[in-house]
Amino acid sequence: MRFLPLILKNSLRNRRRSFLTISSLAISLCLLGVLMALYYALFFSEPKADQALRLITRHRVSITMVMPLHYRDKIRAVPGVREVVTWQWFGGMYKNEQREQKYFFPRFGVEAARMFDVYRNFEIPEDQKQAFMSDRRACILSRRVAEAQELKIGDRVYIKGNIFPIDLDLTVKGIYDMDDGNEGLWFHMEQIEEGLKRLGSSRSFAGTFTILAESPEAVPRIQNAVDEMFANSEAPTRTETEQAFGLSFLAFLGNIKLILMSICAAVTFTILLVAANTVAMSVRERVREVGVLKTLGFTQQKILGLLLGESLAISLIGGAIGLLLAQGLCRVLAVGLAGFVPPDQLTIQLPVFLALLGISLLIGVASSAVPAWNAARTPILDALRVTD
Amino acid sequence: MSNEPIIRTSDLHKKFVRDEFEVHALTGANLEVHRGEFIALMGPSGSGKSTLLHLIAAMDRPTAGAIEVLGQDIASLSESAVARWRNHHIGFVFQNFNLIPVLTAHENVELPLKLTHLKKGERHQHALTALKLVGLSDRTDHYPRQLSGGQEQRVAIARAIVTDPDLLLCDEPTGNLDARSAQEVLTLLARLNKEHGKTIVMVTHDPHAAHFASKIRHLDKGELLPEGEVPEDWRAAPMASDDKT
Repeated sequence: MRFLPLILKNSLRNRRRSFLTISSLAISLCLLGVLMALYYALFFSEPKADQALRLITRHRVSITMVMPLHYRDKIRAVPGVREVVTWQWFGGMYKNEQREQKYFFPRFGVEAARMFDVYRNFEIPEDQKQAFMSDRRACILSRRVAEAQELKIGDRVYIKGNIFPIDLDLTVKGIYDMDDGNEGLWFHMEQIEEGLKRLGSSRSFAGTFTILAESPEAVPRIQNAVDEMFANSEAPTRTETEQAFGLSFLAFLGNIKLILMSICAAVTFTILLVAANTVAMSVRERVREVGVLKTLGFTQQKILGLLLGESLAISLIGGAIGLLLAQGLCRVLAVGLAGFVPPDQLTIQLPVFLALLGISLLIGVASSAVPAWNAARTPILDALRVTD
Repeated sequence: MSNEPIIRTSDLHKKFVRDEFEVHALTGANLEVHRGEFIALMGPSGSGKSTLLHLIAAMDRPTAGAIEVLGQDIASLSESAVARWRNHHIGFVFQNFNLIPVLTAHENVELPLKLTHLKKGERHQHALTALKLVGLSDRTDHYPRQLSGGQEQRVAIARAIVTDPDLLLCDEPTGNLDARSAQEVLTLLARLNKEHGKTIVMVTHDPHAAHFASKIRHLDKGELLPEGEVPEDWRAAPMASDDKT
């Protein structure tokens, strides 16, 4: 600790260079922090108690393929299943393309009578819930969608179909909040069925089933039982946790794990190069001082410690600023990625914090190890001969 | 003054190898310095005076011969032991001051004390005392760039004496100073020797500076001449010294 003031003063002796180095470290570590937070939230975050009880069953081949509606009753009969609700991605277009591009929100047809039994985390006033369930032309919206589209209870919503050749004419009957950031518009599944019937199709189908298990222990059992039950049918299924189901959308982009890890590795390596270059320059300029310190009685080990300490100070300051920036950026991103990652999960959690701290320390040590070692080993007289 | 020498070199040699050339910087130097002496090592450039000083400070190792400082065979010490030994026993003053630019005068002086077991308050007091001794107690918070050359060298002397070393080694301490500052620094060194009993070995090529010492030894082409003997070419042009003053 007695050398800390000296280390800090030396670290910041060339203010412009220190500022630029710290800035580049901060920005890089901010990016790294956000990516790692995203990675952690996607692949390691614990589901909420409510979410841990839910499973989603879809067509094994693709999420775009549908399953017969009668699967619902068979699934409900599986031991450990408390309830099943059917829902269907509708797609469609609200008002016009420009508006869709600016603020898209998902639209789902759902079995309204059962949805609140399965999705128990909808926060919606009882009168609005009843109003929605009792009116087949009703819909409910998440608060963010309502605010973004400036919709309020009683407003009419027209959705032009694109996946399905039908248009929807709905009335907003409720506005809900949801703790996992689930955004969207929900309407009665019958709207799709009746629309298709009017066009001559009598087929009953479901895009997705959400299963509510009786206990977390029953979840893996149900998962296997459902998929085995339909393994040899016309529409084999894939049952997965709600979390895994959310991630399957991201899989459309490619191997997200690999992409994120590759970017993280590239960012780390780049910071390392930047820091190593700066430290090498800084040490080279001060070899003479190393000779002076040795003359005063500083051992090689002490000088090595001082030089490593300076580099660590820079990387830790950069890392700390990067962490703060990353935390701020996570909060912003959490809003946009709410459909994939629960907003409260996209944050710098303890393992991410520790990993970033470790990377900062690694950068500090790795970038300065060679120049510091060489400088510390330079004989006194050789060091003193170096001119400024 | 004790009769026991605190520096004793016997047949001391130092050879440098530069590419395919061998340079004999010191050839068989025999020197004895007693406690409380102020000795000036004089000689032209390349005579080996700085090499001898560096060997006494254990900043370099002899090629052959023996060197004993304060009863310690310093050539046998390890790198770490020599660094600690230097911190305890040697104060070194450079020609070009070599203060750390990011540290204030007080922090520069306190630096060698950071290697001791003294507490913060004690270090602070010791550094203040040393600065007071060199007449810079009103410049403690000044950075080197805010000081004149003479003041910088006085800070460097304060740094050299702050650990109360047995031996003060000065390598051309007035070489970068104007006449007035040089006079101040030499007066200070003489005072440290007379009033505080510091043993001082000073390398200089300036006869005026050398006259502040109690004894002058000359070196010529790596050879330490016997006491009282002066190199021939110096005899021909004696005391060209005061071009500085």
